[in-house]
Amino acid sequence: MTTSPTATAENMIEVKDLTVGYGSNIVLQNLNFSVKRGEVFVILGGSGCGKSSLLKNMIGLYDPPKGSVLIEGQDIVTAAGTERQNILTRFGVMYQQGALFGSMSLLENVRLFLEEYTQLSEDEMSLIARCKLDLVGLLPFEAFMPSEISGGMQKRAAIARAMALDPDILFLDEPSAGLDPITSAELDQTILSISRNLGITFVVVTHELPSIYTIADRIIMLDKDTKGIIAEGDPRWLREHSDNPQVRRFFNRGADVAPESDNLKLATLPA
Amino acid sequence: MPINDNHNALADWQSEGVRATLKLTGHFNAHTLGGLWSTTRNDQTVWLSSNGASCQLSIDLAQVSYLDGAGIAFIIDLKHAQEAAGGSLTLLNLDKRYEPLINQYQPVKNLFPTDESDHHDSTNLIERVGKGMYELAEDAKLQTVFVGQIASSIGWAIRYPRQVRWNDFINVAVEAGVAALPIVSLVAFLIGVILAFQSAIGLKQFGAETFVANLVSLSIFRELGPLMTAILLAGRSSAAFAAEIGTMTVNNEVDALVTGGIDPIRFLVLPRMLAGLLVAPILSLFSDLIGVFAASLTMLAYQIPFVTFYEAVLKTIHVNDIMSGLTKSLLFGLIIAGVGCLRGMQTGTGAAAVGLSATRAVVSSLILIVVVDGLFAYISYKTGF
Repeated sequence: MTTSPTATAENMIEVKDLTVGYGSNIVLQNLNFSVKRGEVFVILGGSGCGKSSLLKNMIGLYDPPKGSVLIEGQDIVTAAGTERQNILTRFGVMYQQGALFGSMSLLENVRLFLEEYTQLSEDEMSLIARCKLDLVGLLPFEAFMPSEISGGMQKRAAIARAMALDPDILFLDEPSAGLDPITSAELDQTILSISRNLGITFVVVTHELPSIYTIADRIIMLDKDTKGIIAEGDPRWLREHSDNPQVRRFFNRGADVAPESDNLKLATLPA
Repeated sequence: MPINDNHNALADWQSEGVRATLKLTGHFNAHTLGGLWSTTRNDQTVWLSSNGASCQLSIDLAQVSYLDGAGIAFIIDLKHAQEAAGGSLTLLNLDKRYEPLINQYQPVKNLFPTDESDHHDSTNLIERVGKGMYELAEDAKLQTVFVGQIASSIGWAIRYPRQVRWNDFINVAVEAGVAALPIVSLVAFLIGVILAFQSAIGLKQFGAETFVANLVSLSIFRELGPLMTAILLAGRSSAAFAAEIGTMTVNNEVDALVTGGIDPIRFLVLPRMLAGLLVAPILSLFSDLIGVFAASLTMLAYQIPFVTFYEAVLKTIHVNDIMSGLTKSLLFGLIIAGVGCLRGMQTGTGAAAVGLSATRAVVSSLILIVVVDGLFAYISYKTGF
């Protein structure tokens, strides 16, 4: 595994000996990594390598066969009752498809968790929700239903909802997929601004290289074959210094392909 | 449900004439602001209303240890109230890192919607009635078109029987028919028992318990068997068809069929229609037999032997009665499958739309079943069928 030099800081999330999978189908095994407070941490990897499954284990949706996920020192795998509830309020999650509640307007979607967890008045909650929608550029659409807006807008609304309670950690599953480059870049700036100004820790699953170079402080790259982490550290450093061809191919968009690659096979197909 | 939050926030409001100072201390987030926000805003409103346009508010943030999105919204709320009243607001000792977070909401009035900016217009009663009638007419039009499409696809199925998706037909028939046997048996049995008991109570007063067999068997074969079966099928299968096709519509699977050149009516609707046509009469006949059998068992309690009951049934029931019930069942089967599929195809977007389609399928099926049953009763009365 290639690892870039990193600064030491307080660990926000610690993943220890985590095995990801269902029954006998093990997707990833013995993962060990940590996410530092205030950093933007990106999980990379090819399709089907278990990025989203890892994320779901980290947020407590799935029970892993083995290992632990410590969020600010508390293990989400074994936590139950109030302890688990307290861990859950420390982070917000944006799912790949947005997962907005279809029967509620965007404003109501963002306000829902505030209604559940705070003692604020309706107007106060609405103002907070509007601020979040404004952050993602959706303020003019606050009264729209999720089915009335585009897929990209749904994702942005989902980010606004994940930020409703101003959590310490935000998990984003493919935030910029489906967005145009300008909106995607704006979203990156929003993530950076929130991260730098509020010290919120981000765990992001994404494939978008420009986004990775803009936002990521550190990355881990997962691999389907070895079922583990093949690179960890600063993406800019890894792009230049990694000795793993797969890592270099990813960061250079497959430019330095090996002779036995699929591209070559396609090129030699009979006409 | 409030969560544990060990942080505290304090707001100290001091006002003197047109000048006021708000000293904020502590950790400001969505949890610590509960109550404090409203109290501060009330103080500000009272002060603004008694001092007019030249009010100057200073917020001292020197003692603020943390300000998150909710805290910033709180300050924006105070700022907006100042601006709306024509006053001014100064932030003192604001930590540099919060400046961009506050300044990104410019102008803040955008965050406070006016009534005109509502997306969904409120409509008056006449408009709503008009809209409702228009939707009803549109729905009737769609149903007519759908009936035409189904008729054409049934014609196609007769011409090209090998091209019908018989595997789907069998799966649906098993799911809607065979899997429904236990619930149909249970309901038919109970209806038979209840009907026999209720009739016997009345007829016993005239010493006419022997006529229970005639009464019950006629009611079951002509009316209750087909009707109860249809109601059960509407609840089970019509809703299932609507949810199934509705989910496919939501996931763009129906669009994929259309763009792939496959007619969704032939692919999705036809196998379900044929299955409905097949299982409804069979289930209905099955339910008739169970119902009459249950009634015969019940009458044993009134010392009417099985043989006597059986002979009375044979004397009363003619082939016409059975055929009348089965014809009705056939129509009910068409209605149940057709309405279920139609509502599924009409599904909008989102999970809520699928639920709505399933509900509409059941309600529409039940209404149509009762209407058709009524028409059938009238035809039977006129023609004797």
